Amino acid sequence: MELRKLADDIWEIPKTGGMRVPGRVFASDALLVKAREDRALTQVQNVAHLPGIVEASFAMPDIHWGYGFPIGGVAATDVEAGGVVSPGGVGFDICCGVRLLRSRFDEADFEARRDRLMGELDARIPRGLGKGSIADRTLVRRVLRDGARAVLDAGYGWDSDLERCEERGTSPGALPEAISHRALQRGEGQLGSLGAGNHFLEVQIVDEVFDAEAASVFGLSAGMVTVMIHCGSRGLGHQTCTDQLAVMGAAMHRYGIEVPDRQLAAVPVRSPEGERYLGAMAASANFAWANRHVLAHEAREGFAAAFGIVPEQTGMQLVFDVAHNLAKLERHVVDGRERTLCVHRKGATRAFGPGHPELPEDLRTVGQPVIVPGSMGTASWVLAGVANNPAFMSAAHGAGRMMSRKKAKKQQSGAEVRRSLEARGISVRPGSVALLSEEAPYAYKDVDEVVEVAHRVGLARKVAKLRPIGVVKG
Amino acid sequence: MRYEVLAHTADTGIVAHGDSLDELFANAAYGMFDLMFDLAEMTPDTLTLVRVAAPDVELLLVAWLSELLARFEIDGRVWCRFSLQLEAGWSVDGSAEGAPPGVLRGPPIKAVTLHGLRVWRDGDAWHARVIFDV
Repeated sequence: MELRKLADDIWEIPKTGGMRVPGRVFASDALLVKAREDRALTQVQNVAHLPGIVEASFAMPDIHWGYGFPIGGVAATDVEAGGVVSPGGVGFDICCGVRLLRSRFDEADFEARRDRLMGELDARIPRGLGKGSIADRTLVRRVLRDGARAVLDAGYGWDSDLERCEERGTSPGALPEAISHRALQRGEGQLGSLGAGNHFLEVQIVDEVFDAEAASVFGLSAGMVTVMIHCGSRGLGHQTCTDQLAVMGAAMHRYGIEVPDRQLAAVPVRSPEGERYLGAMAASANFAWANRHVLAHEAREGFAAAFGIVPEQTGMQLVFDVAHNLAKLERHVVDGRERTLCVHRKGATRAFGPGHPELPEDLRTVGQPVIVPGSMGTASWVLAGVANNPAFMSAAHGAGRMMSRKKAKKQQSGAEVRRSLEARGISVRPGSVALLSEEAPYAYKDVDEVVEVAHRVGLARKVAKLRPIGVVKG
Repeated sequence: MRYEVLAHTADTGIVAHGDSLDELFANAAYGMFDLMFDLAEMTPDTLTLVRVAAPDVELLLVAWLSELLARFEIDGRVWCRFSLQLEAGWSVDGSAEGAPPGVLRGPPIKAVTLHGLRVWRDGDAWHARVIFDV
């Protein structure tokens, strides 16, 4: 595949065949080598076929082979010019994302209670095939409409949480009636659960601060214990995407839309099917916001129990909660004109720069916190949105896999991976020891390199680096 | 061989085989659950009926696998024996026998994707490629 270097760390895939726009890849030479090893760049080309796409089919520095869209793919379509929405640009785990809590504790506090705390978290964080921590199944219907607000009203979490959550924890335009009976059946027992795969709860230390002003506004300081939670909308979201793909696959031919991969099925945003998908997606996103909200509540309870205090004394305020699998209607300037775009971020994080009107007032001076989790055992990062982001205010979402699960399993056993993490001072509480090897650090790209590229090309700027000390794994 | 595992960077997939479309669909379902659990070790205690329809054979395979996956989560049973009849047009009238989940040996599958989906015939044998989101 031909790639043209536009600038340092910025590459273009020229328009060929049915591509409506070029591809644009943000990657260092080393990351590009990895991206070329699988089908990720072909997927960047495929996305460029979507009707109404503007500027480019973007790939974040952590791009890797996904299904339909690459993971780390960003595409915006012009809604008033027949632009489409594609469930493949959101993924099955609708509104999968990351939530970061700060605390009043430092590493010495953690060391003094390490085993007790990890035991509390191990017992309180439902994961794997297990059910969620909320037994009240009727609450799910309220969650679909009101998101995190519904579980806050039911007694979980703190009022201040909503201000520090993308969309304030409630996605607009939710259509709970667009959620199928099957999806509800899958979601009813799963509210307040981590799931499995690459999902986790991690206890971390703020290892290094790069932007003191932004870190201070985010409430972070060197040496502080933080908690990061990565999960999504569970079976409810997975089923909703499955349901909607079947509808769209049948409907798109009526709109004369053809795509190179069935997973890219798409319909105009302004169509009955498009509007229903966005309503179902928003309802599923509400489940995900609420899910992470409940897990944060469980983490606070776990810390409080381990330290013999009440949760309010833990200082575990929410730094921010960001989604990395969503499509959103946003206003952006394209060719000198402000338009409504449907911005798909599949494995990419929204990254509003300073002054954005949708940010809470106290964050407007520094920009939105962008949370980039690393792989198990490596650093994670907190970045901040910057002005003039070149990809519709989007940034990387993680390290990005580079090794298949099959290959990762062959390299080390789960028990070996656990031993090597424990030897480095990282306590591991896995849902399944056998599955740890699939998520081993060596299966992922270097998150530091991903973040350096994001910083250099102006997707976001570095604020703080976090080091893991405890992992609760799905 | 009922199925082979396909390498995929982030997710996982299979190529299933069968002497007929009915057998292909049964083996694809076997492969999907065998990625997560050791099905050879399972003793079924439940029988459920599964009926799905779709516009073509590839989407029918996805509908069949997706329905079994949803029922796995809802009913808490790992489906390990399959019996079905395909009808042109396209629909499946089938049943699955399930057992309580044992120890996971692979990550739980979230969904059946349409990415790279293919059902094809080679001589007397049928094959299908399916990638799962994990």
